[in-house]
Amino acid sequence: MGSLFRSEKVTLCQLFLQSEAAYNCVSELGEIGLVQFRDLNPDVNAFQRKFVNEVRRCDEMERKLRFLEKEIKKDEIPMLDTGDNPEAPQPREMIDLEATFEKLENEMKEVNANAEALKRNFLELTELKHILRKTQVFFEEAASNGPMTEESVNLLSDEGLTQGGQQALRLGFVAGVILRERIPAFERMLWRACRGNVFLRRAEIEIPLEDPVTGDQVNKSVFIIFFQGEQLKQRVKKICEGFRATLYPCPETQAERREMAIGVMTRIEDLNTVLSQTQDHRHRVLVAAAKNIKVWFNKVRKIKAIYHTLNMFNLDVTQKCLISECWCPVDDLDRIQAALRRGTERSGSSVPSILNRMTTKQEPPTYNKTNKLTGAFQGLIDAYGVATYREVNPAPFAIITFPFLFAIMFGDTGHGIIMFLFGLWMVVKEKSLGASKSDNEIWNTFFGGRYLIMMMGLFSIYTGLIYNDIFSKSMNIFGSSWNADIAYPGDMGNNVEKLMLAKTYRLNPNSTNWSKEPYPFGMDPVRLGAMSQSTFGL
Amino acid sequence: MNSVNFNINFGYLEGLCRGFKGGILKQTDYINLVQCEILEDLKLHLQSTDYGSFLANEPSPLSVSVIDDKLKEKLVIEFQHMRIHSVEPLSTFLDFITYGYMIDNIILLITGTLHQRDIRELIPKCHPLGSFEQMEAIHIANTPAELYNAVLVDTPLAPYFMDCISEQDLDEMNIEIIRNTLYKAYLEDFYKFCSTIGGSTTEVMCEALAFEADRRAFIITINSFGTELTKDDRAKLYPRCGKLHPDGLAKLAQADEYEQVKVVADYYGEYKPLFDGAGTGPGEKTLEDRFFEKEVKIMMSAFMQQFHFGVFYAYLKLKEQECRNIIWISECVAQKHKAKIDSYIPIF
Repeated sequence: MGSLFRSEKVTLCQLFLQSEAAYNCVSELGEIGLVQFRDLNPDVNAFQRKFVNEVRRCDEMERKLRFLEKEIKKDEIPMLDTGDNPEAPQPREMIDLEATFEKLENEMKEVNANAEALKRNFLELTELKHILRKTQVFFEEAASNGPMTEESVNLLSDEGLTQGGQQALRLGFVAGVILRERIPAFERMLWRACRGNVFLRRAEIEIPLEDPVTGDQVNKSVFIIFFQGEQLKQRVKKICEGFRATLYPCPETQAERREMAIGVMTRIEDLNTVLSQTQDHRHRVLVAAAKNIKVWFNKVRKIKAIYHTLNMFNLDVTQKCLISECWCPVDDLDRIQAALRRGTERSGSSVPSILNRMTTKQEPPTYNKTNKLTGAFQGLIDAYGVATYREVNPAPFAIITFPFLFAIMFGDTGHGIIMFLFGLWMVVKEKSLGASKSDNEIWNTFFGGRYLIMMMGLFSIYTGLIYNDIFSKSMNIFGSSWNADIAYPGDMGNNVEKLMLAKTYRLNPNSTNWSKEPYPFGMDPVRLGAMSQSTFGL
Repeated sequence: MNSVNFNINFGYLEGLCRGFKGGILKQTDYINLVQCEILEDLKLHLQSTDYGSFLANEPSPLSVSVIDDKLKEKLVIEFQHMRIHSVEPLSTFLDFITYGYMIDNIILLITGTLHQRDIRELIPKCHPLGSFEQMEAIHIANTPAELYNAVLVDTPLAPYFMDCISEQDLDEMNIEIIRNTLYKAYLEDFYKFCSTIGGSTTEVMCEALAFEADRRAFIITINSFGTELTKDDRAKLYPRCGKLHPDGLAKLAQADEYEQVKVVADYYGEYKPLFDGAGTGPGEKTLEDRFFEKEVKIMMSAFMQQFHFGVFYAYLKLKEQECRNIIWISECVAQKHKAKIDSYIPIF
């Protein structure tokens, strides 16, 4: 813990990288994560920097990957996450990746378009089937209410007679399907616009249908409107269009309807098979993509990060090398040099990269080397404020004082044991629990502080024993040092009968009549007998 | 409705609104935006503002209409979030704001139907904040009376139709008259509603609505020169809730040319500087631009007070101005014609 006492010594370095080697060197430096770069172009706009085109290409790739991810999630295919760390690919591999994503995206778009067209067809056929079924009922009712319809027809024909001769008047009709929510407004508008001269019957479709565009389940109803005359027909059609009701041709006679129904059923069967095949194909494409998608995301993010870093570099006058300034910890300069060498070798460049230490009056950033145990405590301290450079770091003290102060306030052995076991379980199962990468914020907070919780539990057990508090009860291991003989002078202390009858009894702490040996460890268990435990106990 | 009890029901939404207002683009953002060469640069810069990655899922190449749609979508989402979470009387207030957009949508649909356009083409062009259930069935109406009886009687705009049912047929000229009559009735109703709320809301909103009324009076007058609109008809279109009522409006009704309008404006301290120096020359701002500037100033001062509903109205207007600015800059960038790119109205 010697190094945790103060923050690490950090120095300012200048980095000279040859242009070809720059990408690989930054990649290696990124992998070891020991360097903080300074932005040498602070007043340049985001879109005027040198590598802005590459960043844009990465943005495009990320967009395509997000689209694919959304499709994969829609189909609920599990995405494989092995947790390994793929290396940033070379710049020339970026073109291959772009081509792959482009191909996948186009394929998905095509499949989606096909599926949508098929689903639309399917929806139409299903709606038609429901219409044929329901209108059956309407026409039957109209036929059975023979006298009534005769009457209404007669009324109309009277008008007709007065206007233009003896013509048999027939009611025209349109049938269609509309969203259930729109029916009240639809009816009202029909009534108003046609001045009550149309007759609407409707019936609900029980099963929800799938909307082809959004994929949601919607409830619809079948309606049939009877009217007379061409003008009303036009008006009714316009209103239907306005409310997005789809109209279907419905034959008048029962025989024709039955024939149509059979035809529709066979077409639905055929469509079902085609639809399931399309879905299978889509599923296969997505499963293949799902295997690699996490790895691709990581790779693209690394490329983007490298180019963001390169954007902070300064281009030398000779245009041959990139210069950057960075903060490095002094103790790790060897590792950084090794990383630079690796990067230069991988890029195949002949000119080595140069790391040059500079002296500066500026204050370096605070860098604390932590491991998984100390990391949680360092995070706790940093939440209150990051220490300045080379100041004494409160974290190593906090490792003991924080759990101890917590335990003083917690102070219950029983609950302390539970807490300790919980922390111990998380620590022992660290690897498997850490790999599952949950999204739950509360769980992640607990898991991040597993060592903290374990220590808090441990200290709580100790303070709980001192307070003699286990699940809010006391343990009587050594026998209490108080007894009922210790009484106030003149009190009923020695009178056993009176003692039995008394409701409360006050022990005199100043009495000389006691066992002369206090309870060996912790609080005396007599506190449990007290009426008000809070004033007596603590 | 006083400052003590305001926060119980409206504190969250006012805080949210002020947070949105804090994300309005600043002068430095505009300076960066005018330096863009292509639309992708604009997208890159907007990523670092409150807009974030709103264009992230749009395939390149971008077009100005896509940017326009997305800007509007973001604004609509914010406004509807606030509307859904509000209680009376804030919900009525926010509904009143949407009636203006409803009027615009109705007029758009009627005009489109007159020109034989398919209703499905027109629906996407409507403003999403002003959509209502019966909107899509507007095309069945041929006269205002039918329009009222069939479509609009159930909407909240029904009472505003009292004055325009007398018109016989829907044609070009009459549609504009209908629009302005509706808007006049709406504005006066809104003004009355704000007066009943009391407190700072009345102060702030009545000033804003008075300016809006006067602006409309001036614009109607200037636009009606050279058309068949008679002076009496014109006088009926002026909203009466502004500072110009009654004397200024009477004088405006008599005006025949731009100079006379300017003379009327000279009587009013707030409007005189707007007309001075306004023109269509190269270095001058147009009158519309000056009106926009004054509107921005009034809206900004609305945020100086707390515990009132005016912040919601002001926020919407400022965001709309910002959208107009961004679209103007995008158009200049897209067409590579940067001569007038600085004609946006700076807000901060």
